Amino acid sequence: MKSPPSLRPGELAFALLLLGFSLAAFYEAYQISGFTGLTTGGAMPMTAAAVMIVSGLFIVKDTLARRGGPAPSLRETAAFLVPPRLLIFTALLIAYAAAIPWAGFVAASSGFLLISIMLLWRRGPWWAAGVTLIAMAAIYLIFRLGFQVVLPMGTLWR
Amino acid sequence: MMEAAGYFATSWIDPHLLGLTALGTLAGVYIGAIPGLSVTMAASILISFTFKWDVNAALALIAGVYVGGVYGGARSAILLNIPGAPSAIATALDGYPLAQKGLAGEAIGLSTVMSVLGGLVGVLALAVAAPLISEIAIKFTSREYMLLGIIGILLVGTLSGESFAKGAFMGALGVMIGMVGLDPMTAETRFTYGSINLMGGIPFVVAMIGLFGVAEALIQLERIDKTPIKQAVSKIIPRWRDVRRYLGVGLRASGIGAIIGALPGTGGDIAALLAYDDAKRSTRKPETPFGEGAKEGLIAPEAANNAAVGGAFVPMLTLGVPGDAVTAIIIGALFIHGLKPGPLLLVETPHLFWFIVGNLTLANLFLLLFGLTGVRVFSKIVECPKAVLMPLIIVLSAVGAYAIQNNPIHIYWTLGFGIAGYFLKKYGFQVGPVILGVILGPMIDANYRRAMIGARQEPGQFFLDLLTHPISLMLTIALLLMLLAQTPVLKWFGDLLYRKRRTE
Repeated sequence: MKSPPSLRPGELAFALLLLGFSLAAFYEAYQISGFTGLTTGGAMPMTAAAVMIVSGLFIVKDTLARRGGPAPSLRETAAFLVPPRLLIFTALLIAYAAAIPWAGFVAASSGFLLISIMLLWRRGPWWAAGVTLIAMAAIYLIFRLGFQVVLPMGTLWR
Repeated sequence: MMEAAGYFATSWIDPHLLGLTALGTLAGVYIGAIPGLSVTMAASILISFTFKWDVNAALALIAGVYVGGVYGGARSAILLNIPGAPSAIATALDGYPLAQKGLAGEAIGLSTVMSVLGGLVGVLALAVAAPLISEIAIKFTSREYMLLGIIGILLVGTLSGESFAKGAFMGALGVMIGMVGLDPMTAETRFTYGSINLMGGIPFVVAMIGLFGVAEALIQLERIDKTPIKQAVSKIIPRWRDVRRYLGVGLRASGIGAIIGALPGTGGDIAALLAYDDAKRSTRKPETPFGEGAKEGLIAPEAANNAAVGGAFVPMLTLGVPGDAVTAIIIGALFIHGLKPGPLLLVETPHLFWFIVGNLTLANLFLLLFGLTGVRVFSKIVECPKAVLMPLIIVLSAVGAYAIQNNPIHIYWTLGFGIAGYFLKKYGFQVGPVILGVILGPMIDANYRRAMIGARQEPGQFFLDLLTHPISLMLTIALLLMLLAQTPVLKWFGDLLYRKRRTE
């Protein structure tokens, strides 16, 4: 098992966030059946949440122990965690997911592929369009006709 | 015996299954070789498309992808110094220096032959060990299954990632995700928040595609601009002299691979690293030093990682505990087809067991064929830019998630898991234990409750049962040792013994 040499930007905040999430998960698990019995539906979720809390505490402790040097600025944390390319791509991803029920799988995927390949590949719109066309044709042939997956049509075309 | 032979040959004589195995193996070689695409990713996407198929056809395709993919990583490790898959990390150490010396073709040829040798040893281990283990496992009660499930999750947590705490956290998180939906025993709702979509639980394939497909694609975005340096490939068929000379190293590594692969939670990557280390220690006078192009250093990890494939099927088919992430996916495929992997699988569905053995053997033979041909086409495909690949993975993940139940909500969940997985990976968390947790969580839950009811809901009796039944006791000791190994207690005890011996 290898240990990272130094703390990553935002690692302590993330560890605390996970600990908070574990505590919330324990509360939610407690809501299922409380401490009413050893074989209730809530017993295993509560055990799992307890393991998350204990390991979460260890993660926070390890993170604190690895702390050294000045704390990274918000800008450094953002550059490490969400570089501009990732931010744009994630925004595209969300837009893609939102567009599927409305525009249908084929149109939404074509749009997503075209824009993201154009942004990431930087070979010009014609290359991106060509690749998108080939990829979509292959996906349609393999999945719609081969695997017989019923792809979402989209409300726009009804 | 004749019956078993008939089942073994099913995929050999049925043209449809034969074709699917060949297609899976060929696709696997390329998937494994293209950096950024992984077998786990491909298998998790494939499972969602194949669940409407006949179980044999689905297994033939996925097993082919598995066998091909574990090998495929070696090709990009040799040619580009980028292991296409984690199991090829050790291969790059000596494979790439060989390629730099102009011996890329020879290295690919030798690694192919040794991978096939390893693969066949792994299958043989499966055929021999599984029936024996099944006979013991048939005596397992719910207590033992509960313990096995916990050990399975913890092993993955211990062996992967930066710390045990992170592994345990991820495993427990997976168990929590596996609890979402209606409680199968009492029909109580758990974490459903009144949503009908959550009543049926979160399909683990959705979590898998998100964590392995989408999250990995997001991580790979950072490495999009790196262009690999390619090596020229010449003669690929290895010399018979070389094969004979390194057969011993190959067989030894295959043995290590099959055993490591059979341990729940450990897969080809760990097997390959251990076999490399073993070859380094056991080769007294290598022709070329290790790390500079030693053929032993290329052969050992390659034979081991393919042997681990057969090994990984052993706990999956006999105990219902997956050997690694891909077998965790295959276990899911079996569940979807209404089959229950476990000690009774060999008794109730021997045809399935021998079909898998026969199919893995067949896939290895196809591997020999595809491994020794088509290198020119291969080097073109491997160069496929990540800027095109990553958006494609997202689209494939979306189709895969949707295809499970034709429910668009699963696409959102997949993307959600992907984004969460990205942040977790960035901070050194491994996603493997989550998947194992999702799959094994419900099994642990059901068996724990059965065992506790069996102990008349008395905790004292429950713990006494763990210590007074031989198989339970062995597993409890294994579990305790695993936990103790994470604390300074064992080291402190070792030091104490050492000091005592020295004073004597």
